[in-house]
Amino acid sequence: MKTIILGFDSFDPAVFEDMAGQNQITNLSKFVDAKGYSRLEVCSPPQTEVSWTSIATGADPGGHGIFDFVHRDPSTYAPYVSILPMKKSALGEQFVPPYIAKTLFEEAAGMGYPATALWWPAMFPARPELPVNTLPGLGTPDIRGQLGVGTLFTTEDEKKNKTSVMHLESAGKGRYSALLNGPMTQSKSGPQPVTLPVALDVIDPNTARVTIGDNQLELRVGAWSEIVEVKFKAGMFFNVHAITRLILTSLNGVVRLYSLPLQIHPLHALSHYSSSKSFAKNLWDKVGHYLTLGWPQDTTGLEDGCISDEQFLNLCDTIFSRRKQIFFYLLDNFKEGVLGSIFDDLDRVQHMFYHDRLDVAQAWYKKLDAFVGEVGQRVNGWSGKYNYLIMSDHGFTTYQYKIQLNRWLAENGYLALNDGITSGDLSNIDWRQTRAYAVGLNGLYLNIAGREGQGVVGAEEIELLLAEIQGKLMKWKGPDGKSVIWRGRLKHEIYNGAYTRLGPDLVVGYASGYRASSETGLGKIPQALIETNNNHWGADHCVDKDIVPGVIFANRDLQNFGGISFRDIPFLAIGKHLDQSHIKPPSQISGHGQKDLEERLKGLGYL
Amino acid sequence: MSFLNKFISRGQKENKQPIYIVSGLPRSGTSMMMKMLSSGGLPVVMDSIRQADEDNPNGYFEIELSKKLKDGEVKWVYEASGKAVKVISYLLEYLPKDMNYYVVFMEREIKEILASQHKMLERRNEKSLISDEEMTAQYNDHLRSVKYWLPRQPNIRVLYVSYNSMMNQPEELCVSIVNFLELPLDVKAMREVPNPSLYRNRS
Repeated sequence: MKTIILGFDSFDPAVFEDMAGQNQITNLSKFVDAKGYSRLEVCSPPQTEVSWTSIATGADPGGHGIFDFVHRDPSTYAPYVSILPMKKSALGEQFVPPYIAKTLFEEAAGMGYPATALWWPAMFPARPELPVNTLPGLGTPDIRGQLGVGTLFTTEDEKKNKTSVMHLESAGKGRYSALLNGPMTQSKSGPQPVTLPVALDVIDPNTARVTIGDNQLELRVGAWSEIVEVKFKAGMFFNVHAITRLILTSLNGVVRLYSLPLQIHPLHALSHYSSSKSFAKNLWDKVGHYLTLGWPQDTTGLEDGCISDEQFLNLCDTIFSRRKQIFFYLLDNFKEGVLGSIFDDLDRVQHMFYHDRLDVAQAWYKKLDAFVGEVGQRVNGWSGKYNYLIMSDHGFTTYQYKIQLNRWLAENGYLALNDGITSGDLSNIDWRQTRAYAVGLNGLYLNIAGREGQGVVGAEEIELLLAEIQGKLMKWKGPDGKSVIWRGRLKHEIYNGAYTRLGPDLVVGYASGYRASSETGLGKIPQALIETNNNHWGADHCVDKDIVPGVIFANRDLQNFGGISFRDIPFLAIGKHLDQSHIKPPSQISGHGQKDLEERLKGLGYL
Repeated sequence: MSFLNKFISRGQKENKQPIYIVSGLPRSGTSMMMKMLSSGGLPVVMDSIRQADEDNPNGYFEIELSKKLKDGEVKWVYEASGKAVKVISYLLEYLPKDMNYYVVFMEREIKEILASQHKMLERRNEKSLISDEEMTAQYNDHLRSVKYWLPRQPNIRVLYVSYNSMMNQPEELCVSIVNFLELPLDVKAMREVPNPSLYRNRS
């Protein structure tokens, strides 16, 4: 077996087909000409971590247990990030793998082949017990165990929405100093960040010398530094190592220096960052240093105005470039097995530019196409059979309106807030008067007696109540007069597997242009029902799966498949189905006609 | 573990010659394809229980045991390695899973299939108890499910061949079939088999 998988996060079929029709995409178009292209049915909901996990396992969320970016603890209703679960142990709180369902990589390794998964979501922490080489993708935290925000050092009195702001104190003419907050430690006065001194000396109007820990860097305005390794002394014999990159964004009157979120140092990780350790070290030493955060393309820094569009795009470019180098290093040494790699810059670029600068997104389609050309030059020389798959986890669409689903539930009598409260979060809900609530970007749960901590909905009411909510949601119109919801899907209709019972009772599939607000994701209940989205983040994919299909390209004929879905990927990659639920024998599908068919065949003498 | 698996898993199936299956709905040209493969030099598995008749003047190229696949009668399949066998589409799912198959799947306009089947039923003194409309729906339903199932079988490769096209452009299709089977068959001999005079039930 020899299989390479390129995962292009958010590669949209409509954009591709349009550009291919105008001859702007040449390498991927060759797959189309050879019948090796198809739109890909993606899982519900089409969220990155859910979809790539479904692709890797061939199972829907009922089979692997990741249903949404945010899950809830039914006993307390507390929301938590599904891809970063923690477990308390004697050693304190530790990250645990978000799922244990078998992936195609694990299956290939079990068959005796080398298997490598690069930047695949939900693969942090690594599972060293498995013989699969991994560098994890989405879900890899920063050194504080969070999904990561950067730090802005500024001489101004500024406030940012999410970014941490540290004031640059004047330390003489053209000299400034500040502190960089690192990991949190316990002190007598409670949790405190360990800090590193930061010094900035202006050299000329475009250049400054920045000293951070043991590092001294000369930075030019607007140019990203290389990866910087820093060390925080978190105890007498205990250091926390981190990596980051810095950018000087202003020296003209106002001095601004921005640091990416502090990321796990792959050679000094406190959790299992990669599998194996030597795999990460080899790439770090042989290819070059690489960022480790699950979402290293700093959309938050861009949204908060800490970096410009151009600086954000430059960052994406450098991340893509290093990842390509790593991939090619492995590809050049690839003899057999499975080598899978996700490239997710396009997703981040589309979130920020798809809606108002489509040309920027299209430039990334061309970059990925050129990359496919480079890969093609290498693999075309291979002798013998091999599988070459390129796919995306979903497409993309606009995000014009933010939906507050809990407000809709309240206005329709399904959710009640405590007396005197008009807005808030899950802690403000009167659970005895609440029959349904929303947590996650596509999840709606009933408040079921015996399942939820203060459940009130009896087993006999579930079916009717869900049908009622589903029906009302489908009639909901937005400010543009169009339907807000494309489709509501009941979990027992769309999921198979042991984890189905843990999923949302109704998966809410928004129509194009609509998406749950981030407040809804966390279970909040703001005042407004629908808000216009004026954010830089103006496009998304957390809608109904039918609106954002993915793509698949393969060096084989895909036309005979009669519709390819995520469930088929393990078979296409390693020749094995990991989940057989979608391939019942024909006799079990045909239904009532089976008897007539048999009669006819007997009559003709063929049975 | 890896080391052992390498030899246990990887060796499986690789040394067995595949079985070449001709399949499709009855009256879709399966007998013709069997004759083509036979003429091209591929040994075929057949018995002489059902003799050539007016419906199949060139013979049926069948093995009676194939009708018992559903009952678990599969021993004979293992002896068909490297040979061609006719198995109608309805019975494909009952083939043993531990053999590899190259399936040439014949397709023909359903109207033509039904017309041909009606004549065959008449000659066999059988009556059709179901309308053509309903039978068409059921055949389409059956073909849809078979075509979904077939490409998802790890041990099956499939090539769809149109009977109607075979009558019009046999040369090109014969080359495709030989390429698909990866066998050194005599294309010229194969190409001589399709006989437009036997293409009697046209839509």
